[in-house]
Amino acid sequence: MARELAELLAVPRATPLTVDLSRVEAMDSAAVAALVNGWRRAKAGLVLGATSPGADRALTLFRVGAEAVPPATPVTLLEGLGGAAYAARSAVRDFLQLAADSTFAMVAAVLHPRRMRWNSLVTQGNDIGARALRIVALIVFLVGLTVAFQAAYQLQQFGAAIYVADLTAVSVVREMGPLMTAILVAGRSGSSIAAEIATMQVSEEIDGLKVMGMDPIEFLAVPRLLALIVVMPLLTVLADVVGIFGGFLVGVFYLGLSGQSFLHQALGALAPFDLVTGSIKAIAFAYGIGLIGLYYGIRVQGGASEVGRTTTASVVASIFYIIVADCFFSIVFYILL
Amino acid sequence: MSQTAPALVVRGLVARYGERTILDGVDLTVARGEVRVILGGSGSGKSTLLKHCIGLLTPDAGEVRVLGQPLHDLEGAERIALLRRMGVLFQSGALLGSISVRENIALPLREHTDLPEDVIGELVSLKLEVVELSHAENLLPGELSGGMRKRAALARAMALDPDLMFCDEPSAGLDPLTSAELDELILRLRDRFGMTIVVVTHELMSIARIADRVIMLSGGKAIGDGTLDEVKQSDEPEIQAFFNRTAAGEMRGSASALDTLRGASP
Repeated sequence: MARELAELLAVPRATPLTVDLSRVEAMDSAAVAALVNGWRRAKAGLVLGATSPGADRALTLFRVGAEAVPPATPVTLLEGLGGAAYAARSAVRDFLQLAADSTFAMVAAVLHPRRMRWNSLVTQGNDIGARALRIVALIVFLVGLTVAFQAAYQLQQFGAAIYVADLTAVSVVREMGPLMTAILVAGRSGSSIAAEIATMQVSEEIDGLKVMGMDPIEFLAVPRLLALIVVMPLLTVLADVVGIFGGFLVGVFYLGLSGQSFLHQALGALAPFDLVTGSIKAIAFAYGIGLIGLYYGIRVQGGASEVGRTTTASVVASIFYIIVADCFFSIVFYILL
Repeated sequence: MSQTAPALVVRGLVARYGERTILDGVDLTVARGEVRVILGGSGSGKSTLLKHCIGLLTPDAGEVRVLGQPLHDLEGAERIALLRRMGVLFQSGALLGSISVRENIALPLREHTDLPEDVIGELVSLKLEVVELSHAENLLPGELSGGMRKRAALARAMALDPDLMFCDEPSAGLDPLTSAELDELILRLRDRFGMTIVVVTHELMSIARIADRVIMLSGGKAIGDGTLDEVKQSDEPEIQAFFNRTAAGEMRGSASALDTLRGASP
């Protein structure tokens, strides 16, 4: 009916089209919609003629708004770019604000240890550090093992198998140890910070803290950030040791090197500065993972589905940050040496 | 001065969200010791008004004076001192999910007082007794029923003996019986402790039971202010619609399809 009506209305005519509903027994909502729509488009070109009681009933049942809501105009490419730029600007501003607030609060907590939330710090340290020990150790052990095998394959061709020790030690301590630890911590703890804070935000718990006069930054952010910053270098050192141990096993059991000469060679390849750079990296990763988790958690709006989405986004952002920062540090340290 | 000032004064409050105006010059005065109910349908701005009164949002214009002090102009210790004198019962309770009911109620006490731990314990027990929740003190908030969670949240909100209590939709999601019990609890707080209580709700039963005075919001403006009977007398169609439970939409500029087609202007 809608299509026929449209066709009738498309024909130009001198007198308005009169719709006669006197023989209509019943009308459904689609018929009413078609009629109203035709009337709207035809302006004065459509007039309602006689109606049956059935048609009357249907037509009084539905109400017509003053005007139809115009559909949202599609966003042009330029508008989309502009909108994205604005969103990015406010996101950067919010993130820097959070970073500044958290850093100040963290320094304040360190300077006034009585205000520190020790319970929370210990709980977080345990969650982020102690409970991550096994998985970090296992992963970095396997990475050390793998690096050593790859090195062995190449170096054996030159009869330089002993250098497997150098290569494993250097790549684990300078790169793989801090990097793999950070990625695991981002996946384990960064995600849990984001999810926990987001859930608290959605369930008004953070508002609750605010109206009780408690600063969520001091109460929630500082213990998590500090725990990360304290625990991450320790995890990284452990990762270094276990990673070299992986290489050690390859050297001793696959290449037939003596354990003593492997260790001697490995330690000789490392400079004390390598431990410093590893720790600097670990702290920078920890700080970033913490801030990114907090940021994504705090900015969540809406319900439970948003918590999942924001958690995923935080992990992606953390890992992206870790890789970029790692690249940056590697270049800087290379230039410095 | 702050002893005699009204518990809450809102003057010309304007709140915008982007280009939308949520509150458009709202005035509200709440006298000490009364239960004041903020009414309104969804989107009327009543939650936004509440969020301004408890300091979660900053007004775009106008001012909010809580217990005689300008909430949004205070900072640091002064602001915290004022917040200590207010309690808020959130819609979902907003208890911390990771600690027990007892710990939740002890939290503001530990934070804002230097009472010894055993006194805090005693105090928490007293508050739990008021809301009749002593048997559930060691449960986590997630293990409580909706009504129990609200009562636990009420106990936390009154932990520091506030002068002014805000309740956001206290009966939302509760069965009529539990909701009625909560109403009685609110009245008990007023009568026994002389608290001033501001309640945001749209439950007619609850309003009739607890309200000393009401304010009705619609489209970001106060369209009725006074005792419940006074407001009910108003000719304002939205107020009539609210109390007589007719849909407001039918009165706002829409006509039946028949009238529209018959040539009433679109």
